[in-house]
Amino acid sequence: MSSLVFEGREVPVLEEDTVASSLYRAGVRTFTRSLKYHRRRSLYCGTGECPNCLVTVDGVPAVRSCVTPAREGMRVERAHGWPSTERDLLHVTDRLHRLMPVGFYYKTFIRPRFAWSLAERVIRRATGLGRLPEEGALGTPTARHLRTEVLIVGAGAAGLGAALDAARAGERVVVCDEAPIGSRLAPGPTLDRVRALEAEVRALAEVQVLDRHAALGVYEGPSVPLAAEDELVQVRAERIVVATGATQTHPVFPGNDLPGIWLGRAASRMVAQNHVPIGERVVVAASTEEGLEHLSALVAAGANIVAAVVPSSVRGEVPDSVATIVDGRVTSAQGRRQVAAVFVGSSEGTRRISCDALVLCLGLAPRDALARMAVDEAVEVIGDAALGEQEPHMHEDGMLCLCEDVSLHDIRQAWDEGYRSSEILKRYTTATMGPCQGAMCGTALACVARDLADSSGMPAQRAGTRTTSRPPARPVPLETLAAAVHEVIEKRTSLHEVHEAAGARLDWSGGWKRPFGYGDRREEYRAVRERVGLMDVGTLGKFLVAGTDAATLVDRMFPTRVRDLEPGRSRYLLSLDEAGYVLDDGLICALDDGDFYLTSTSGGAGRMDARLREWADLLGLHVHLLDRTAELGAINVAGPLARKVLEPLCNDPLDADAFPYPGHREIVVAGVPCRAIRTGFVGELAFELHHPRSRGPELWAALMRGGWAFDILPHGLDALELLRLEKGHLYLGQDTMPDDTPAKLGLSWAVDIGKGWFVGKPALERMASLPASRRLVGLGFDGGPEDTAELRGMPITLDGAVVGRVTSAERSIVLDRAIGLGWIRSAGDGFPTELRAGTAAARVEPTPFYDPEGVRVRG
Amino acid sequence: MVAVLADEAGCDRVTDLPGACRVSPTEVMILGDASVEVLERAVRGDDPDAVVLDVSDGWVLVPLEGPGARDAFTRLSELELPASGFVLGEVARIGARVLVRRGGIDLLVPAMLESHLRERIRRDCRGLVP
Amino acid sequence: MALEVPCPHCGPRPFTEFAFGGEERPVEAADAEADFARVYLSANEEGPRRERWFHALGCRTWFSVARDTTTNGIGRA
Repeated sequence: MSSLVFEGREVPVLEEDTVASSLYRAGVRTFTRSLKYHRRRSLYCGTGECPNCLVTVDGVPAVRSCVTPAREGMRVERAHGWPSTERDLLHVTDRLHRLMPVGFYYKTFIRPRFAWSLAERVIRRATGLGRLPEEGALGTPTARHLRTEVLIVGAGAAGLGAALDAARAGERVVVCDEAPIGSRLAPGPTLDRVRALEAEVRALAEVQVLDRHAALGVYEGPSVPLAAEDELVQVRAERIVVATGATQTHPVFPGNDLPGIWLGRAASRMVAQNHVPIGERVVVAASTEEGLEHLSALVAAGANIVAAVVPSSVRGEVPDSVATIVDGRVTSAQGRRQVAAVFVGSSEGTRRISCDALVLCLGLAPRDALARMAVDEAVEVIGDAALGEQEPHMHEDGMLCLCEDVSLHDIRQAWDEGYRSSEILKRYTTATMGPCQGAMCGTALACVARDLADSSGMPAQRAGTRTTSRPPARPVPLETLAAAVHEVIEKRTSLHEVHEAAGARLDWSGGWKRPFGYGDRREEYRAVRERVGLMDVGTLGKFLVAGTDAATLVDRMFPTRVRDLEPGRSRYLLSLDEAGYVLDDGLICALDDGDFYLTSTSGGAGRMDARLREWADLLGLHVHLLDRTAELGAINVAGPLARKVLEPLCNDPLDADAFPYPGHREIVVAGVPCRAIRTGFVGELAFELHHPRSRGPELWAALMRGGWAFDILPHGLDALELLRLEKGHLYLGQDTMPDDTPAKLGLSWAVDIGKGWFVGKPALERMASLPASRRLVGLGFDGGPEDTAELRGMPITLDGAVVGRVTSAERSIVLDRAIGLGWIRSAGDGFPTELRAGTAAARVEPTPFYDPEGVRVRG
Repeated sequence: MVAVLADEAGCDRVTDLPGACRVSPTEVMILGDASVEVLERAVRGDDPDAVVLDVSDGWVLVPLEGPGARDAFTRLSELELPASGFVLGEVARIGARVLVRRGGIDLLVPAMLESHLRERIRRDCRGLVP
Repeated sequence: MALEVPCPHCGPRPFTEFAFGGEERPVEAADAEADFARVYLSANEEGPRRERWFHALGCRTWFSVARDTTTNGIGRA
């Protein structure tokens, strides 16, 4: 025999059992304690819509036990109450409710301030829906896309009927339901009809049935995400049909939340399907057709109905054996741990009926949450979901919002305090903000607000609207939503495995995984300054600009002087936006046939390609553009011995006359065709070899072998940081801000302001007459921390006032002193020069710090 | 893979060749053994500026094989696939070129994103494709 | 979310395949004042307006559409 484990004891599980029915059969009567007042709560709606049955199953909290099938070996615990759900000492708060009126927590626990953290911890323990599991109790769902013509949400009679109609009309259909089809219906004619329709639907190839998939919302498209236990399905449809049916009305009267009070569907399933009696003296109040079905089912299952409260119109349909009260109204219920008596008012006065179970079937509340979310016309609502606003059953007082413990009295009190519409009442009292999200109480709240507005002489329509429906329509674990989130996109060069094998520390930079170092950063630095070093710069953006108008495009897009750039020569390229701000930098190389080869920073590659295309289009130019970033790798061979490494591997002349700086040549190195560009970023003789990506490992290996005799070392971004800083070269994004112009960065030399129009020129001309508000400058530091890098980000001060910020800082190895870059605010005509940065004294210095004449680069 | 960048008229000359996929009005991608010289001659008549380059190094082909291929694709992309043929758009959050053929779906992505795509397939298409 | 943008070459595609290029506006202006307005001041009209879009994850071409800023309906421009 099957069993589950409930708070340490074994409980039998029979066929068709839900966790709730299994527990109820074993005698559990208190399932939860209400949020604020810790009132006992028991099974109520039976359709997974109220909070009363929430338990923790296998470590996962907030499981709706009334709709969760019971399985062998499940571990079930209740989550509320201290020290236990049965004996909850915090129930005392119910007695103290006068001290805890609605919204009391906005007005208390304010002073003394320190006490709040204590109070918060206590309150957290005393409320809540359970503890989150430590690790991965919910697995890893996957996400997928599904496109269809019609999506039908809800596989009840209306939804399945619509699916058949649509399929017969030739449409592709997906029909979904949050539960297994028919599982929320009690045995009876409705269930039989649904089963017959289900068989027809499943026989059709054009219809996909996704049960156990809950629709979370209706988004623009229209599109609907469906959450299931192990997946998230993002459905795009041409039209949506909402056939979610209606839930049962939650009547509001004093004592309405006592254990032993059931809504019709819960009672009839427990008795007729799970064969567990709900009481020995049952009162049934039924005012709908469905209610009569439930009454019949209870009678047929042998329940002792001591009274049936029905409208006079259906009196004839009540079995003769049952005592009937005609046109009565339930006005209150009484009891301590559970219901003991119900009061029914009628034309003959009020009667008290003692009972131990009360079953209420007083109407329907359309499940219109999804329908009210949809702004698209392509959403149609059918069946009970389209019933429109129903009159709630309300009397004097009672628990309006079961989830948040908000009574009618609380609502009136809030209204008296000045909260005068349903929307603001919701926010102040938290009614409708619990797990049911207003499914049970939304209509009642709107109705109360309308009545209160009426009696205050306010316009009722505005005050009493249904509160806005927002996704998710059903609770959904973050793991499920995360299944559709894939924001991490990693780019790698073809040397990735080579770096890994060499023991490199690889980390993120500009969307790529790049080596930061291979061991000793100082040694890698020294190799470049004294001998020769190797760096993988394959991440750079690389672009071919070809065609008749190639020169025109680069001339007009960039502030750089390009018309006089001869084939084989290259130049520093600055890229500005129309506001004159620096977007990117790189190199421009003139090719033999009037075409150009451009490079950009690694992070700016995508934008460079997009902007090249944009301006070619806007200016109507005849060019062809090819983004070669992926196709080509690049290796920088840098250091005074760089030529000595390359010459034996290359037949082409590399001396300064044949191949001057700055410039580029097509050469073959170790059999690999390359475009070699002489660069100056690290301040030494350097050849940046752009080569076919697939031949990168081969080229790298040849260079490492060729450099072995010279003690060559590979270096990464850590060493690069210091090498470039000693030359005063800036890092875009680190040393620059989004509104930096060339003037602020000391890059006016890279702008040919005298040439014709280029992107950003009007802005630069406009700003030329304005004083520069700040400048990026070189800095020297004295004193200060042991690790100069700690100065990065430090404010720069003059007489205690902040006048700038350090953007880069390192201890220069070759100069043996602390240097950096930072921006300084202007002071009158110039810039202050004697400053402080934290504990260090700082002074503005000209850059480059190292080899200011650039002799080593030009060699 | 050869990239042909030419005016619309020039591209039209090669767009129906075997292995040709029209990426945009001014770009054709030719898969398989295509001769750069032959293609150049074909398009330069209409567009003397046309660029024809072997860009094989820039792209990587990752196939989704077998009966689970379409299902696997729905875990990577929102794109609606034709019964057969070429489409380009977002796959696994990157720009990809997709070829639907008998027995499977070929995904062409920029070479630097190969590991990203393979990791997404491994993570989200388990059991659907080898 | 499923706003679709009609790429003239590839057809309607989810907006996530695109980069937005702002309102359509002239490349140059008559003088410095006008250029300031051209760069910084958007008309930002209610209703249909011409915009620039870039099919970043597709054919990588730029084109214009007329999008209604109140309904998000997009027509060809």
